[in-house]
Amino acid sequence: MADDAASRLYQAFVSQDPAAAISVIEEVRAGGVDQGVLFDSLFAPAMAMLGGAWAGGVIDEYAFTQAAVVAEQVTSFVTPPATATDTGITILIGAMHRDHHAIDKNIVAAALKEAGHRIIDLGVDVRPADFLDRAEETGARIAIVSAQMMSTARAVGRVREMFAASGRDDLILLVSGGPFAADPALAREIGANGVIKGAESAIRLVDRVARERLGTGGD
Amino acid sequence: MAEERTGQLAFAEDLARQGQVAPAVEACYHALRVDADDPLAHCLLAELMLSGDFYDEAIHAASRAIEIDPGCAPAYLALGLAYDRRGGMWDQSILVWHELAEVVPDLVTAHVQLGEAFGAAAFEEDAIAAWRRALELDPGEARAMYNLAVAALKREGVATALPGFRKAGELDPTQDDLFFALAGVYDDGEPAPDPADVPADRASRLAAAYALAFEEDFFSAADLLRLVLDEGADDAEALGLAAYLYLKQEAVNEAMACALRSLTISARTPTAVYCLGVAFSKRPGLARHAARVFSALAKAVSDHPIPHVLYAESLLALQRYSAAQQSYRTAIALDPACVRARFGLAAALLTEGRHAEADWEIRRAAYHDTRRQGLFWALYDEYAEGR
Repeated sequence: MADDAASRLYQAFVSQDPAAAISVIEEVRAGGVDQGVLFDSLFAPAMAMLGGAWAGGVIDEYAFTQAAVVAEQVTSFVTPPATATDTGITILIGAMHRDHHAIDKNIVAAALKEAGHRIIDLGVDVRPADFLDRAEETGARIAIVSAQMMSTARAVGRVREMFAASGRDDLILLVSGGPFAADPALAREIGANGVIKGAESAIRLVDRVARERLGTGGD
Repeated sequence: MAEERTGQLAFAEDLARQGQVAPAVEACYHALRVDADDPLAHCLLAELMLSGDFYDEAIHAASRAIEIDPGCAPAYLALGLAYDRRGGMWDQSILVWHELAEVVPDLVTAHVQLGEAFGAAAFEEDAIAAWRRALELDPGEARAMYNLAVAALKREGVATALPGFRKAGELDPTQDDLFFALAGVYDDGEPAPDPADVPADRASRLAAAYALAFEEDFFSAADLLRLVLDEGADDAEALGLAAYLYLKQEAVNEAMACALRSLTISARTPTAVYCLGVAFSKRPGLARHAARVFSALAKAVSDHPIPHVLYAESLLALQRYSAAQQSYRTAIALDPACVRARFGLAAALLTEGRHAEADWEIRRAAYHDTRRQGLFWALYDEYAEGR
């Protein structure tokens, strides 16, 4: 059955018929084949047949190129999505007031976005009140505050105080930056819920927070 | 040339070119006793001190050479590299690379280094402008491209930077070297044969096709390959080379088709495995596939750095940054001069906020890259001839 579908997909490539190619793919998908395995079970065998046809002289160079164009047109139907699916988790991220170090924040924000989270980047030099205001506006329940200097790292405590003063103890405060990596006690002192130590750590920590504190299915 | 210089200096040069640092330093001091104001002797001494990691001594000697002759280009190179490797002297470093770019305006490396000095001093915009200038002078300048990729990483994260790393990797000749190493083809110094003179048998045609591909005569290689496939279409090795030729022409799907067919015939065709991995890595949705293929390649060819680099890049695409670091480190252990691995490791370190270590890797990449190019000796010989 799978071989038959791959042959038909190959035929659609050679006939330069993208509609037929898509209909083969949809048919296989409707038969219960997961998107994650469509590429391996259908597209790759059809492409191997195409390579074989070119090598054997069944199709000439021009037909090979045209078939490859059709394959290009349907690739997105068989490849797993390039970006992760939306987790529905909104996260505020910004560098603390008087802190203009953007690089780590940018890298962490991009990694979390790629992992499917909804990122609201507040930029650098963000006042504590802005974190609270944007949390209220957007419904975000996680705030990541980056600070690269001791003075600004200590000042992150004001963000927690502002959340508490507004009755928003439920907001999760994660911190990142050299001072927190160097002194884990500092994060506890300022009332942070966790310390991010880079992009991969951010993805893991947000997933854990989502599972344990927000009750979502982050993996 | 050498005979016009003092005998001691020529002796020092010979020793230095042979990598005999300590006796070369000794000979340099002898030469300076003969003529204390010879900029060549000072800049040679600077280069030798640099290679021994005596940065302050290198800075002193190179500065003296420049004082004697402000047009002494190799002294600027030694001075700039000494400042960069010593660290913490970015303002001086910027000035030196700027000067070198003025003295030798078409010297691409001067602009790359200037960009790195700007970058280290946090003048990101100036750094990007310098790397772009380097690419204007030479669109094949891989290190400028790696640096631009790192700059993109700092602004927009790994996903935006990764295509830049891969593009730089393609400019970097080491990736092609891997393909030919997998095929067992090495540069023997002989030119590729004229296709018309190739004997009409499979082995001769395939060997000639590889030789022509090595010399980047892709069309002649493809013509010979067609003849091989006409004789026997189920030739896994020929299909592996066909996949490579298509990749070189940016025809990713054709390359994928040939590689997949090759592997259907024989799953143990390393050239096809390589081409399939590269084709997968060019498709954003196939990062996991690329990682699988490159993981297998890295295990099969564990003594070559580039499969580990390719695997590391696919791990970056999967956001597995610490695993990527490990693979990059394996590549560097195999080849400390692997610029691509150094820049990749710098990127992976940046994802953890380890800026100082990342900068160090970039500085090491610069050191090895200028060594690989033989830049000091090229500038030195040119300067000596022009005196």
